[in-house]
Order: sequence, then C-alpha cells, then structure tokens
Amino acid sequence: MKMKYLLIVLGMTLVHSACKKKDDPIAPIGPVTNEEEVITNLTLTFTDPSDATVQYRFQFNDQDGEGGADPVITADTLPSDTTLLLSLALANASGSITQEISNEGTDHQFFFQRTGVPFFVVYADADANGLPIGLSNVASTGAPGTGTLLVTLRHEAIKDAPDVSSGDITNAFGETDIEVLFPLVVE
Amino acid sequence: MSFFYFLSCSSFAQGTQAGCDLTLSGSVIDEHDKDGLSFAEIYLPELSRGTVADEKGHFRIDGLCSGRLLVRAMHLGCEPVERMLNLTKHEVVQFKLEHHAHELKEFEVARNRPDENVGQARNILDKADMEKNGGRNMAEMLGRLPGVNVLSTGPTIGKPVIHGLSGNRILTLNQGIRQEDQQWGTEHAPNLDPFSSDRITVVKGAASVQYGSDAIGGVIVTEPIALPRSAGMSGELRAGGQLNGAGGGGNAMLQGGMKGVRGVGWRVQGSGKLLGDSRSPYYVLSNTGMNEQGFSGGIGYRNMRFNVSGYYSWFARELGILRASHIGNLTDLESSITTGTPWYIDDFTYTISSPRQRVQHHLAKTELGYAVSDRGRIVLTYGFQTDARAEYDIRRGNRSGVPALDLSLTSHTGELVFNHWLGRKVHGKIGGSGLFQRNINQPGTGIRPLLPNYEKRSGGVFVVEHFPLSEKLELEAGARLEGTFIEVARYTQEGLYERPHHQYVNHAFSAGANWTVKDSVRLRANFSSAFRPPHVSELYSEGLHHGAAAIENGDRLLGSERSTKATLDVEARWFGGKLRTDVTLYVDRINNYIYLRPNGTALTIRGAFPVFNYVATNANLYGMDASLQYAFTPRWSLRSRTSIVRGRDLVRNEWLFQMPSDRTENSLVWSKERAGKWSALEFGLISTYVAQQLRVPADLDYTAPPGSYHLVGFQASASKSMGKHELRFGVNGYNLFNTAYRDYMDRFRYYADARGMDLAIWLRFNFGKNNKD
Repeated sequence: MKMKYLLIVLGMTLVHSACKKKDDPIAPIGPVTNEEEVITNLTLTFTDPSDATVQYRFQFNDQDGEGGADPVITADTLPSDTTLLLSLALANASGSITQEISNEGTDHQFFFQRTGVPFFVVYADADANGLPIGLSNVASTGAPGTGTLLVTLRHEAIKDAPDVSSGDITNAFGETDIEVLFPLVVE
Repeated sequence: MSFFYFLSCSSFAQGTQAGCDLTLSGSVIDEHDKDGLSFAEIYLPELSRGTVADEKGHFRIDGLCSGRLLVRAMHLGCEPVERMLNLTKHEVVQFKLEHHAHELKEFEVARNRPDENVGQARNILDKADMEKNGGRNMAEMLGRLPGVNVLSTGPTIGKPVIHGLSGNRILTLNQGIRQEDQQWGTEHAPNLDPFSSDRITVVKGAASVQYGSDAIGGVIVTEPIALPRSAGMSGELRAGGQLNGAGGGGNAMLQGGMKGVRGVGWRVQGSGKLLGDSRSPYYVLSNTGMNEQGFSGGIGYRNMRFNVSGYYSWFARELGILRASHIGNLTDLESSITTGTPWYIDDFTYTISSPRQRVQHHLAKTELGYAVSDRGRIVLTYGFQTDARAEYDIRRGNRSGVPALDLSLTSHTGELVFNHWLGRKVHGKIGGSGLFQRNINQPGTGIRPLLPNYEKRSGGVFVVEHFPLSEKLELEAGARLEGTFIEVARYTQEGLYERPHHQYVNHAFSAGANWTVKDSVRLRANFSSAFRPPHVSELYSEGLHHGAAAIENGDRLLGSERSTKATLDVEARWFGGKLRTDVTLYVDRINNYIYLRPNGTALTIRGAFPVFNYVATNANLYGMDASLQYAFTPRWSLRSRTSIVRGRDLVRNEWLFQMPSDRTENSLVWSKERAGKWSALEFGLISTYVAQQLRVPADLDYTAPPGSYHLVGFQASASKSMGKHELRFGVNGYNLFNTAYRDYMDRFRYYADARGMDLAIWLRFNFGKNNKD
C-alpha cells in the first residue's frame, strides 16, 4: 500500500511541476484592433452633375465590425426625376479601402436592387477587362415615393456571366462582401 | 468451451467448408512455470475466427482446411505469439507465452486484452479491414463499423461519430497518448497517419475512468504495432491508387531487431498520399484535392523486468475546401441551396487553392516500465505533441496567402500507472495522469481570433479493479477524480484585455460485467460515466464564424458535460455457428450537453447574420448497433451491419441537431481459402443504404435533410505467397452506379453532391523474416 501512496504523490508532483507559472506566455501581442478584411463604413454619395455642392448621402457605419453593437444606417431624401452621379466609398479603422477594391476591380462588382420606387443605376466605370465595378455610377430617380435600395458587393463573382455586366446579380455568385439595405425616399 | 466473440472484429469470416475437416488443438502455457494459461485466446486472423481455451489452457478448433494457417495465441498479461502452420492433418500445438514481457504493453490499452473495459461494447478495425478500404480516410474506414458514422466536410475531411457524438466528445488515443489536435472544429479531421497503426479499436461507451475527460461518446484507440524482439529484418510495402481524384498513396515500413541483443527492436515507416479534385456524378468538386505525408519511427528494449521505448511521428496534410462552399453571407448560402449545383466548377486539377487548410502534427513519446514484483509493474509514459493548423480563406488585398486562422497547440501528457494483483484473482491498475497544454494564435493573421490563447492543466487519479468471479463471469469497477484548470488571455470585442480562468472538478465511475452465459452466448454490460469540461471555444467564441456564415457567441458560465451511459452487448452463435449475431443496445444521458442554438439575427455590413449561442441542455441518446453474419453455404455468406441512433433534447423536448440517420450495410461475400498459387480469395458485393434523417429539430437548419440513398460497391482481394514473402492485393469499387446523393452528416450538402463512382486498387508486399515471435 505504501507503494500506491508513493505513486500518487509522484503523479501529483509531475502534474504540479508542469503547472509552474512563467511570465504570461499566452498573452497576445495586442488586440486585433483593425481587422483589415472587415469593412465598417460604406458611403453612397449622390452628386448633382451641374452643381457639385449639392450632395445626398447614404451611410452605413458599424465601428465594431461584425457582431457587437448594431450598425447605424442613414439615408438622405433624394429629389424626384433627377439624374445624379453616384460614387461609393468604403473604409475601416485603417482608412479608405475604396482604392483596394478599385485595384482588384476584376474581382469585385457592386449591384443595386431597388424596390417600391423608380430608381435606376448605370455603371460608369470599368475594370481591366472592361467590365463594370460600380464605384462610379449614374443614378436616376423618377416619381416620388418610398422604397428600399439593396447595395451588394460581390467578391470573386463571375463578372462575365450573362446580364451581370448590366447589373443583374442573378448569375454573379461569388462571395458577398457587402449587403446593406437602405431606406429609399424620393420626394 | 468454444466461442466466437471475434465476430465484431472479423471482416469476412469463413464458414466451415466442405472437405475442410481438420482440427487444430493444443494448449497455451506460461513460458516460465509451464502452467496452462486459463482462457487464453486462439485467433486465426486470416479466417477471422477464434476460440478461447479452457481453464487449463487447452483449446480445439474444428473445421479447418488444409494449407497454411496463421495462428495467434493471446492471453491477459502476455505478449501475443503468432505461428504459421502448414496444416495437412489434425495438428496438436503448444504455445508458450511469456507472462511478464507483456505487462509493459499494459498501458497500450486494449491490445489483445479481453479484460480491458470489461463490459464495454467495442469494434475492431484490423489490418485486413483497413487494407480493404485502401485509399479511404480514417473516419470513412471507421464509419463502416456498426455504431460509427462520419461527420464530413466534403470528400476529404471526415470525423468519426460514435453513437451520435463526435469532436470533443470522442477521445482518440494515438500510441497510448491522448490526441490533441483542435478537434473542436467540425471541419478539423483528426491528424493521424492511417498507416501508423494496423489495428484500431473503437470503444463504444463512456470511458472517462480509464482515459480521462472527453470520452463521452467513446474512444478510438489506434494501437501501436509491437516492436520486433529478435534479430532479422522485415518490411512491408503498400501502395494504392484511385480513379476518383486521380491519385493514390503508398507506405513503406522496415523493422528489425539487433543481433545478439534479444529484446531490442526498431521500426521506421513513411507514407504519402496525393489526390486531385474529386468528382461527383455530374461535376468536378473544385478545390477538393489533398496531399499528406507521414513518418514515424520507434525503438525499444525490453527484458523480463524492464522496458524502455521511444516513438516519434510526424504528419502533415494540406486540404482544399470546395471553392463553392466559401460563402460571404446567408444570401450566398440560400442561393447555393436554391441553385442546387455549385456555382464554381472548374477543370480537374491537383492544385489546391484557398480556401484550404494546412496542418502539421508531431508526437514524441517515451515509455518506461519496471516489474516491481512478480506480477506488479509500474509504467511511466510521457508524450509531447505540437499541432500547427493554418487555415487560408479567400481574402481581399492579396491576403489569400496569409492564414485567416493560425493556431499552434502544444501538449504535454504524462501518466504513471501501477499494474497490480491483489491475491490470486483480483487485479487492476491505479495511477495518475496529467496534461499541460498551451494554445497560441500566431500573430499576423489580421483577423480577430476565433479561439483565444489559453493554457490548460489537468490532473487526475484513477483506480480500476477486475474481479473474475468465475470462469464465466468477470466484473470490473473503477473510479477517477480529475481537476482541470483553464486560463484564457484575450482581448474583448471592445479591445479590453482580460485574463479569466476556470476550474472544473469531475469524477467518473464505471462498472462492467462480462458474462459467458453458455458456449454460444456472451453478454457484456457496462454502466459508466464520463465528463468533459467545456472547451475554450464554447466559453469564448465571439464573432463571425466565416465557414458557417454565423455569428457564434460562447458562454463563459457553462459547466462540464456529464454523461452516464449504459450499454448491453449480446453476441450469439446459432445453428452450429452458421449464424452469428452481435447486438449492442445503449442509453446515454448527458447532462449539460453543450450545443449551438439560434438566437435571432445580427445586422452587419454583409446583411443579417444568424446568431448562435452556446447553450446547455440535457440530452438523451439511445440506439442500437447490430451485426449479423450468415454462412449459408461454405463459400457464400451474408453479412449485415446496422446502426440506429436517436438523440433527444430533454429540456425542449425535441430532436437533437446533426444526429446520424439510420444506416445499414449488407454484403454478399464469396470466399475461397486456396486456388492454385492463390490464397485467401474473396469477393464481396456491398450495398449501403442510408435513410433520410426525419428526426430534426424545427427551425435549426437552412434546408430540409437530404433524401435517403443507396450505394453499391464491391471488394475483391487475394494473396499470393512467394517463398517467405507475401503479396496481397485487391480492387474496390464505390458508388458503382454513380448515384448522385447528399448525406445529412456532410456539411457540404448545402453546396454539392457527394463523391461519385470510384475504383481503387491496392497492394501489399511483405518481405523478410517473420519477426512476430
């Protein structure tokens, strides 16, 4: 029986010696404060082509990224029967990532789907293959009304699939990087 | 007394053949005191049949054919002995087993040990079974056993499921060491070289007493191959190729002893495998290629009192994840389900692109044993493991080459066991074990880690005693006490640093009985408990799980899972051995069963994501495994394996998510012992039917479970002996009708059909001196 106690003591010593503390070997170097992948801000800027000081903005802000606090979505009211220049800007804590999307234009494309009110977007930019990206566009409104605008950014989509270059998302596939629903009010 | 309790481990067993009326009889004795060894086992591996000797060590096996016959004699506490006989007449043989030498294998659980885990239902996958499934991954091979299913992520990633439980609820013991390799992830296959073992035992019960935490559903024991003891070199070459994936693999093993020093043995082994994209019936499953490499080496010395051994293995694997399964949000998932075919299909390639996984696992183990008395032995084992896992996603800004998840897990495990006898009959073991583990996120991913850095320590003491009440009835009882301490270091989503810690104390018990009711009926019953402290991922997940398109939140207040499981296993032989049945019934009650439950949605820039919280409930799992074998003529037999499992959430009174559906595999087998220069010829036609899972919780899944399916395959194999060398080869066919199907337990069922038709060939060549005895 003596043997058994000895063994238990031995075993416990073994476990114990393995438990001695060192200078926090598991502390991470620091928080990942800026997740480069995550897009936290999306801004749609509508500009009057004849007067650049007249602007309308749709904004999506989610400072803490995916999960956590809810994002804040705001949208200005747009004038009816008007043609506006529509540019998109993306950012996260490290700054603007619009250029990154533009540089990888062949991998990205924005789509605009509206409900409830006439609203049309025509792409005004092109990637290296001559296919649209959707960072610069021409938007036009019609009769007043209320609806929604769904802005989608697809990564590694099949940009040359039928109708995709004219803005139809059906055949695009790829991964969704952005999918934001804005209220659309036209007066 | 003669009893076929090898039924569950047999592959395609032989019936008694006409004209095969030879008898092998004899005795098994102790090499030292020449006493007969009671209830020694005699096993004929090639025929998958055997018997148990009587109390004086005498045995008799009837109905054998003339020709070469491999006979293995085993006894509790002894090194097994194998002998090749050339049977031409009734033969009487004597096996001398060495009683001490074996005890050094005590820790290497369950090998040829009928008294380990008394009463636990178990199945064994032996070398022949593994060979016949050449080219499949380990989980797929195990998935053919009754009671075992596979939780897969496409054609290359598979995790074994025992009685409905998988991942952290299954313990894998590799070379006697707890395998520690991030098994919390459903897309994390066990990092094991399938060639490093030629015998895998699946213990289908709660077994924390013997093995510590996590063994709630069961234990998978990949058993070490015994090192040679005497001089002379031998080896084995294996190779295999398969059509689907246009690839294959091979393994080379060399082993030997040392001239003049009996007791020294060594072995080295290396393997490799390469597969390109798999193919479903109608399209290529793009980016499902894989490659893996493994190496292991062992050396040991043993004599009557003392043994020492060292073992090292390295395993590396790179896996592609189906390109079309990479989704950005719920809309992508829904569009994939609606479309029905993967949106990304490219030409076949061996190239693996993102998303992909790269893992490396090292294991170093050393074991020391010393016989303190005639029948008592102390065994000290230490294992060191590192597991590096890098997962690559499709990322913006040229970051696809930067891993999105980069984990490094280091584990030290130690165990000290005293094997002892209390009087002439009662024997058992008492010991302690410890684990020290550190998980580190390698910096530089640029992504908030899914699993935080942590340190885990645990220590436990246990005792198990065996009480052989009579020749026919043996009882076992055991208990364990274990403490776990977890320290976590993390930054919260708000950027605050915290160092929480958790402490769990658990106990487990087991009681089992092994009762030979009569010659043809054997009963195993076990009632035991197991525990599992929550994994850090269940406590601290926070944020988006990209692969699952869900936000997952841990709960740091979760407690340990506790399982109490009762199993009853009945093996019986009918009509003079023509029909053999093995039925396992079980009930597993798990308190504090942790799972992910939907909890509304959260709005993100990628749209609304479902939120899942880790919650605990009480669960009840029950089911039946059945296998049956009927030899209706000497050459033809029918073989059947069925698994049924049910899981209920007792608190919400609904079915549990992701429980395997009913499955039955039936095969018609033709076999012949000898035909000219060929031996052990076998052909089997295999039918596998998997029913649709109808028992699912409401509103938890994105789509209804896929329908039932039926697959047909075949296996053919034969051996040819070439002097003292042996060549064995086979051809296998899977899903012969190229049936398009999806399996409920496959995470890719949302995106693509499972693998289509496949043909595989394999061969094994053994050379050199038979070193076994």
